[in-house]
Amino acid sequence: MGKRKRTRVTEKVSEKENVNKDIDILPAIVYSDEPPKKQTKWTNKERVLIFSSRGISFRARHLMIDLRTLMPHSKSESKMDRKDKLFVINEMCEMKNCTKCLFFEGKKKQDLYMWASNCPRGPSVKFLVENVHTMSELKMTGNCLKASRPLLSFDPTFDKELHWSLMKELFIQTFSTPNHHPKSQPFFDHVFTFSILDNRIWFRNYQILEEDGSLVEIGPRFVLNPIRLFEGSFGGATLYVNPHYVSPNEHRRALRAKVAKKYINRVHAKKSLETRNVGQSYILDPTDDVFVTISPEEATGVAKNTFYREAD
Amino acid sequence: MFGNESSDSESIESDTELQRAFESGHLKPGLNVEVAPKQHINNVAGMKHKLEEFKQHLEWIERLDLTVDPSTGVHKAAEEQSDSVADDDFRREMKFYRQAQTTALEGLAKLHKLRIKTRRPEDYFAEMAKSDDHMKKVREKLLERQLAIERSEKAKKLRDLRKYGRKVQQEVLQKRQKEKKEMLDAVKKFRKGQKDKLEFLNSLEPNGTEQKPGQKNGDKKHLQNKRRDFKNKKFGFGGQKKRGKYNSSGSSADVGESFSIAVNQKRQSQKTGKKHKPGKPRRPGKSRRQKLKNRQR
Repeated sequence: MGKRKRTRVTEKVSEKENVNKDIDILPAIVYSDEPPKKQTKWTNKERVLIFSSRGISFRARHLMIDLRTLMPHSKSESKMDRKDKLFVINEMCEMKNCTKCLFFEGKKKQDLYMWASNCPRGPSVKFLVENVHTMSELKMTGNCLKASRPLLSFDPTFDKELHWSLMKELFIQTFSTPNHHPKSQPFFDHVFTFSILDNRIWFRNYQILEEDGSLVEIGPRFVLNPIRLFEGSFGGATLYVNPHYVSPNEHRRALRAKVAKKYINRVHAKKSLETRNVGQSYILDPTDDVFVTISPEEATGVAKNTFYREAD
Repeated sequence: MFGNESSDSESIESDTELQRAFESGHLKPGLNVEVAPKQHINNVAGMKHKLEEFKQHLEWIERLDLTVDPSTGVHKAAEEQSDSVADDDFRREMKFYRQAQTTALEGLAKLHKLRIKTRRPEDYFAEMAKSDDHMKKVREKLLERQLAIERSEKAKKLRDLRKYGRKVQQEVLQKRQKEKKEMLDAVKKFRKGQKDKLEFLNSLEPNGTEQKPGQKNGDKKHLQNKRRDFKNKKFGFGGQKKRGKYNSSGSSADVGESFSIAVNQKRQSQKTGKKHKPGKPRRPGKSRRQKLKNRQR
């Protein structure tokens, strides 16, 4: 009920804004001698548990840590054993008072999977994480406040299909820092960009340098390739399976097969050559070319010794 | 029986099919396992229901999400082939950048409309996502890259210059050779009596100032070497070096320019050239003064 009232109030405010449109825009700077506002309006108590299974690579670990630093509403947990069932995570979230979860899973010491889940009741999505670049790379030159709230930017493709819009809603709830979160800063200096290309979601994080729209990348950057969308949290009925998804194992197998084919082709070529060349094709008399000789100038090797030309 | 027969005929048919497939190359030798095509689930109704169920109806300020279309206006044509964009690093990143840019602009405008201040003051310090040490490293790296670019550009320029210089030198040499050849030809012709006079001599003689282009600055160059000049002057150039330092009658008589008998062998009074002032009494020398003293006693 209370929420509804608040929405009405904001509507009125926005109406007023429309009346005197853009006439008085407030100075964007907050002066430090202003008395700090007491943050009492922290209503959205979303918390995100970010943790991983054992056996993730160093790069994945750094990515996880980067996400933790950028999301002040996140909580950490020690690594989970690989043998534990995934639905245990729901209980972990409950114990940590978290309603969202980002769970990183390493396989074969090289592949990284990420689960994004709405914790007690679902839905959840499993992604393959590709092309990971962390924030500590030196080519990412931007920097932002540790706990400022990000603007979330989405591609229009997210509204075209239902599975994308489901993921979008999940990302909004996970990645947006709640307003007036006690650990958050009241400034806006970075943008999380989610865009869809090639049936994958590409994540970028940019710093807003100036308010006229010049940006610098902060990092991390990664690509999420959706695999499956489940109804429940870490399980339940499957709602969507990505038809474009190729598992990294299959991908590697294809690459190896490509190389192997080169060898197999060569062997086949050799065999076919053998079948085509069947020894002697026509019986010849070897004594036929007894009197066929060459001139001394054309002789090479040992044959040179047998030839000589008398001096004139 | 009847059923059995029909199954046999079926199997025969499938056999012929298989053989045909093998001939055409669709079938490989070995164990062939039938693979069922993958089932791709797309439960639209379920997803719709789920979306409605877990959607939070929060204000925008809680969520801060924006859906923007970066491919508007000029860039639309470039966005048409989205497959190529995914492979082309630069264009892909440009697309993301533009998306983020529009989001930033729209989002900040929206925030300003809600009367929320966005920029932080200059004197507001708080913990940053990246540490100062890290940012220092980043800056160093940037500087290094810039320097490397500058250095390579400089080297390139130098290389070009050298290449050009070499070309010029070659041209000069060729020209000189050509001239020499021409001159020799002319001399030869003159000797044989085919020609009356030598042109290059004529061009030289009437005004001595004119020179051959090749020897243009030959004298100048010689003059330029001051070090050599000085050494020649000091140690001599050609001729006998032995006994060079002996005295001779000439040298012993020569007292140099700085010494002149007329000046140095003069009497003191003459040398100084002091003239007695008329008003003052002259002070006699010491011996004379003493003599005078004795006489007074």
